[in-house]
Amino acid sequence: MKRITNLLGLLSRPKPQVGVTPADVFWQENKWKLLRYRARPEGISHPTPVLLVPSLINRHYVLDLMPGKSFAEYLVAQGFDVFCIDWGTPGDEDRFVTFDDVVDTALGRAIRKVAGTVAHHRTHVLGYCMGGTLAAIHGAVHPEHLQSFVALAAPVKFDDGSLLQRWTNLKGFDLDALVAGTGNVPWQLLQSAFQLLRPTLPLAKAVSLIDRAWNDEFLDGFLALEAWGNDNVSIPGEFYRTYIRELYQRNALVHGRFMLKGQQVDLKNLVCPTLAVTFEHDNIVPGPSAAALIEACGAKDKQHLHLPGGHVGAVVSKHAAKTLWPQLVAFYEKHDSASLSLRERVRVRG
Amino acid sequence: MMLWDQWKKGFDLWEQRTAEMMETVLKSPAVLQPMGNLLSASMKMKANVEKASAEWWGSLGLPSKRDQEKTLHALNQIQSRLIDLEEKLAALKKN
Repeated sequence: MKRITNLLGLLSRPKPQVGVTPADVFWQENKWKLLRYRARPEGISHPTPVLLVPSLINRHYVLDLMPGKSFAEYLVAQGFDVFCIDWGTPGDEDRFVTFDDVVDTALGRAIRKVAGTVAHHRTHVLGYCMGGTLAAIHGAVHPEHLQSFVALAAPVKFDDGSLLQRWTNLKGFDLDALVAGTGNVPWQLLQSAFQLLRPTLPLAKAVSLIDRAWNDEFLDGFLALEAWGNDNVSIPGEFYRTYIRELYQRNALVHGRFMLKGQQVDLKNLVCPTLAVTFEHDNIVPGPSAAALIEACGAKDKQHLHLPGGHVGAVVSKHAAKTLWPQLVAFYEKHDSASLSLRERVRVRG
Repeated sequence: MMLWDQWKKGFDLWEQRTAEMMETVLKSPAVLQPMGNLLSASMKMKANVEKASAEWWGSLGLPSKRDQEKTLHALNQIQSRLIDLEEKLAALKKN
């Protein structure tokens, strides 16, 4: 009975509040913002801040979906000083924003700003999906402020035979014409490409909704995730051109041929403790594509964590709060204390 | 309830198999190639229309949308370079 009443009331159901963990704008430049989540009342208990780097395609609040399903909220509750990049919405003029502008200038500035809040000038960086790829590229050229790096379902090896790789490598796919015609590559095009990865997904979601409509908590989470999934962002054309040409078409990153602002990107220079997380049922970023970071990076302390779940569900679900998140916190705690002297820690807390 | 559970199991199986089949179909060059061609042709047409429109505005001595975008972008770049300089100056002051 509850299932039927919940389904009937779906349209009038209040929209779930997303991205509500209190945060302040710490830095702002062009369209992007660096958010700093407000510390828990007991204060910060870890010496190194955490910077979350989301994908450019989606809104940042996937990492702060809703109370109880927010990784940012969880980290704050564990006593971390948490920052997150909100890439914002590109304006028409941002069609000229390049890969270097995003990864070297903007991401570099965000990392330096966060690292500058502590005496030891280092930060943990967690990149999710494309955000992980961008952070890995940046970290390989500028590793000096990285205390550790977590790549959450972040592709680094692109010759994976996936639909996206095949599509972008077709002779008929004219990247330059696409960028010239669209300016900022519209989110509708990107979303339809993702939908092609599993065309039956909307139907499967509808059946799952009917199946579990009796559960109010599930329903709120479902609606929040749908709100996020339909709130997409277009990508600056010049950025997209480099991303597709150098990564999807030339697979330049793992072969050490990728260039960032004139500097060669060799993942062997990514030497901070590194953790790559992959998901069993990830149909957007295939496991081997993300796990390749472990072999490619130069860190002595590196780890690969393979967990059940999908690309989004495994990161923002209640299940993630019991499985993924505690393991990430344990990783941070291990690498907080290991390399910091007592003096540095005292300075930070003082 | 039993009936629904049975149906759901059948649906899950169907969905899995259909998704796999569609993936195979969509990965086929016979399907992807025409889609890519169509997209590229429509983008080329759009770019040509915009170029013609920009030339028309230019002939009237007016800036096109692209000119305005370039100017705005240049302003953003200048702002970014100024912040770079501020950062470098702050670092020098510290040392």
